[in-house]
Amino acid sequence: MPFTLTRRSFASLMAMTPFLSPARAEDGWAAIAAEAKGQTVYFNAWAGSPQVNAYIAWAGEELSKRYGITLQHVKLADTAEAVRRVRDEVKAGRQGSADLVWINGENFHVMKEERLLYGPFAEDLPNFALVDVDGKPTTRIDFAESTEGLESPWGMAQLTFFADGAKLGTPPMSMMELLDLAKAEPGRITYPSPPDFHGDTFIKQALVETIEDRSLLPVAVDKATFTGAVTPLFDYLDQLHPHLWRAGKQFPQSQAQVTQMLADGELLMGLTFNPNEAANLVMAGTLPATTVAWQNRDGSIGNTHFVAIPINAKAKAAAQVTANFLLSPEAQARKADIKLWGDPTVLDMDKLAPAQRALFSDARLPGSVTTTARTIPEPHGSWVPLIEAAWLARYGA
Amino acid sequence: MTRLAGAFPLALLWALPLLASLAMLAPAAADVAAWRMALAHPQLWPALALALTTGGLSSLLALATSLLLIGTLWRSAAWGRLQSVAAAGLALPHLAFAIGFGFLIMPSGLVARLLVGGEAPPQWITVQDPWGIALTLALALKESPFLLTASFAVLSRGDAALRLRQECRAAATLGHAPGSAFLRIVVPPLLKTLRWPLVIVFVYGASVVDMALVLGPTQPPTLAVVIWRALNDAEPATNAMGLAMTLLLTGALALALALVVLLLRFGRRAFHRMLTSGPSLLPAPALAGAIIGFAAFAPLAFASSIVVLLSVAPRWPYPALLPPAVSLSAWTAVAPAALWLSLGLALAAALVAVASAVLWFETQPRARDRWVIGMALAALALPQLASAGGQYRLFLPIGLTGTLPGLFLAQLTPVAAYVLIVLAGPYRGFDVRYMVAARALAASRLSAWRRVKLPLLKAPLLTAAAIGFAVSMAQFVPAQLMAAGRFSTLPMEAVTLASGGNRPLTAAFALMLALPPLAVFFAAALLGRPRWR
Repeated sequence: MPFTLTRRSFASLMAMTPFLSPARAEDGWAAIAAEAKGQTVYFNAWAGSPQVNAYIAWAGEELSKRYGITLQHVKLADTAEAVRRVRDEVKAGRQGSADLVWINGENFHVMKEERLLYGPFAEDLPNFALVDVDGKPTTRIDFAESTEGLESPWGMAQLTFFADGAKLGTPPMSMMELLDLAKAEPGRITYPSPPDFHGDTFIKQALVETIEDRSLLPVAVDKATFTGAVTPLFDYLDQLHPHLWRAGKQFPQSQAQVTQMLADGELLMGLTFNPNEAANLVMAGTLPATTVAWQNRDGSIGNTHFVAIPINAKAKAAAQVTANFLLSPEAQARKADIKLWGDPTVLDMDKLAPAQRALFSDARLPGSVTTTARTIPEPHGSWVPLIEAAWLARYGA
Repeated sequence: MTRLAGAFPLALLWALPLLASLAMLAPAAADVAAWRMALAHPQLWPALALALTTGGLSSLLALATSLLLIGTLWRSAAWGRLQSVAAAGLALPHLAFAIGFGFLIMPSGLVARLLVGGEAPPQWITVQDPWGIALTLALALKESPFLLTASFAVLSRGDAALRLRQECRAAATLGHAPGSAFLRIVVPPLLKTLRWPLVIVFVYGASVVDMALVLGPTQPPTLAVVIWRALNDAEPATNAMGLAMTLLLTGALALALALVVLLLRFGRRAFHRMLTSGPSLLPAPALAGAIIGFAAFAPLAFASSIVVLLSVAPRWPYPALLPPAVSLSAWTAVAPAALWLSLGLALAAALVAVASAVLWFETQPRARDRWVIGMALAALALPQLASAGGQYRLFLPIGLTGTLPGLFLAQLTPVAAYVLIVLAGPYRGFDVRYMVAARALAASRLSAWRRVKLPLLKAPLLTAAAIGFAVSMAQFVPAQLMAAGRFSTLPMEAVTLASGGNRPLTAAFALMLALPPLAVFFAAALLGRPRWR
């Protein structure tokens, strides 16, 4: 039977493509905003930083003033808590206790795979149009996995090292230079042991800088060629470890511990995912004003962190309004302010009006990165468990 | 009928939810894939060995320290002061002590600053040593106050203290020096009272996570840390591996305890012979006691003062002997609502736990104690991510999560377990002849209990309530799970903030968590003093 466009099939086609009709999208958003009024959003977010907590509290005040939404910060020590809670609730058929989750990487993968996320919603948010999807492709690709609109970008992260410039004259700008430094300063360099997130990233950075064929990294790992692909990586680590803190036999457990040991004077270098963290710590008095921060010359691993709505969330409308507000130029500019948090924006400056652009200050403070390096996207998420296991088998006991 | 009614509160509020949540763990035992993953983990066996050695050695050290201190100070003028000091040591949270103790001995710590100095700290292996020595020492120091407090429960109990004093006097007339009289008369009943607290200390030491993260070895860490990471993971398969490891650790602990019981049974005759071989001239261990006492309490005192300094020092780099700048910002981060909720929950949980335990002891035959004690030990031995996780999954379908009753029951589980274990020895050891005498004087059962037994058991009851209160003030995992983001307690605020590793904040919150239990311990020690002393 030849395909004929009846009026009914046309109508159903139109219904399937609401994004084609801007008027309809606006109506949709107005309905969401109306429904959101009076709702309470339980925002499950890691709470290990007073600056972040203060920022979320500010967002709560604004949301209440502007949209009549109550934002409750559910403080987490580890985002996996929220993942497990949503999974258990969905299994038990209960309505959700979380409306919005601060998430990325493995936690997102697990929730997406187990269909624990509501959406797609992210790319229908009005402010999503301002996101720098071309310049910052990780705003739509989370650890080499497409977000498919199931999470809305919130901030940018990139592996950054920092040290006291008074003690470390020339920072190592590559993993090879780091090896030379470790040889010159035995026992003063280390990294957190996997499965700490930052430890994983340090190893991934070494992987990127040592692997022969980088085109293997953005795709799912092939178990057959894995051992061969990581041979240069482990050769490098075998060379590096004898010169590390405790001769590479023991490792700190977390990035925070490394930072503390740097502040106490036991280590020479720290590492972070927030390019402005060092500047922030100088502001807080944790690090001295002579602190310097840098990224590896040929680029460093970077990614984006997001907010997502669990599938069983009670206040889905208010959660979307919250996600949209967090993307607004005003909220993004405040978040990027080093004095308040210093989390880099996901927005494209060229898409903003001049007045909006003026909200962002690019002032440099002691501890800021002077030359920003290229962002190297995360290897596909499937590399991490295999690398962790190989690391553990080699150095774990 | 009264027998049934007496067991009811403990069974309904505590035993039933506990058993059901333990039953939720049963499927993990049959998860072949999880066991395979656990057994293939390269850190499993060395981590298990570390857990058993740190737990075992620290318990023995703590026991030796406590016995020496009691032997030196019992019946001396300093006895009352020892009680206050022990209360202070007990109230200090484990994490706070670990941070302070770590800052004392670590390569960039105070000892190195005083002894070595120079531009860069020495490369000592004093914390996070591969053998777990720093962790063992810290555990022993931190657990001594607990064992001392458990000992006070019997040594300060009206009826027992009187009897022991009379017997010591009798021993002296038979030619025993004070040291040998103590060894023969006080130590045997003391050890009997201390056996369950000792088991707790061992189990706690072998399964502690927060102290192990600060002071313990890392490659491999203790098994509890491996388990904690696995249970915290987002992947269900890794969680299942963590549960399998949990069961393995619990089994290993049970095996180790069984071995100790066997050894004691075989060694009993030799021990008995040693204690009954006539008078001896063993003096009171005055010098050794003084040295050990100093060695045990000086680090506690130093560590607590260091934590105070750390809480106001954003930065304290090597080799400065004092922080270069002081800031109170860490202390301003507390939410008062969280404090009130925690105080209310802790008070309610402690009172309900003590009341249900007393009802149980009054109405149930002694032979049944082993069931509740066994359950209490199981509740304390399992990592809370596992046991509280089971309880969470139990409460979820019936709508108790995210509610105040659910939160209360979650707090009651560990609180009642501690209260039962601490109270069982002193309560069951009460000399029934007092009650027989009271009843013979025509007092009703209730009024005999109220006017004779209650005043005589005041000290252990108050101690148990204070310990229950402190335990409740320290609960994070069960509270965080059960609150589901609807409530926030002080430990929840503290632990989530500490996840950022900010040392001043962690120190300030740890101290804040110590203050309410400290007040309660002092009150208990004060109110629990026998009236005729």
